[in-house]
Amino acid sequence: MIAVQRGRIDIEAVVDSVRRDDAGAIVLFLGTVRADPGVAALDYEVYKAMAVRKQTELAERAKAKFGVLEVSIAHRLGRVPVGGDSVAIACSAAHRKEAFAACGWAMDEVKRIVPIWKSEAAPARRRPRRSNV
Amino acid sequence: MRVRVKLFATYREIVGRRELAWPIHAGDTVGTVVDGLVVKHPRLRAFRETMLLAVNEAFAHADIALADGDEVAIMPPVSGGLP
Repeated sequence: MIAVQRGRIDIEAVVDSVRRDDAGAIVLFLGTVRADPGVAALDYEVYKAMAVRKQTELAERAKAKFGVLEVSIAHRLGRVPVGGDSVAIACSAAHRKEAFAACGWAMDEVKRIVPIWKSEAAPARRRPRRSNV
Repeated sequence: MRVRVKLFATYREIVGRRELAWPIHAGDTVGTVVDGLVVKHPRLRAFRETMLLAVNEAFAHADIALADGDEVAIMPPVSGGLP
């Protein structure tokens, strides 16, 4: 599964997409939005067509490089609140060692070559309520 | 002849557009387009050396020649963050 999406990532669907009977291991990585000071959310801007293309390339390269069976990469687009999942990568392999290696490598590559930019969104300021009276 | 130029993040904010049509002449390269944009939007100049460039959704060097209808993307370095 390769996805760039505005809605929440369905983690179970990502994991299911890499299940195979010849797999003995599935590694799932989730990137989540951290509550750094003054940050309420992260806004992700994506060059979607190219991001999908790069994620597809990465999944194929991970399979060739590490001998893993399936690789899925899903990334959020738009606003993701603190605690939300911004990226999910799942790798299945016959054995866990390759699955861990491929998953770590794929995440590093996502950060290096997939055209996605994030900006911090501060908490909304409470504005004085207007009164008609 | 013209190309479509897509701008992202800081560059989109500087230019005030996500996408624009840009006229090209025979022999123009990605670099020619970037140079033209920098002249029109001087605040881009500070980023000139670190821009990521792509043509038709593939990363490209500035010396790649352009054809009518190509899609040129001008992008800041990818978000990165600590490993």
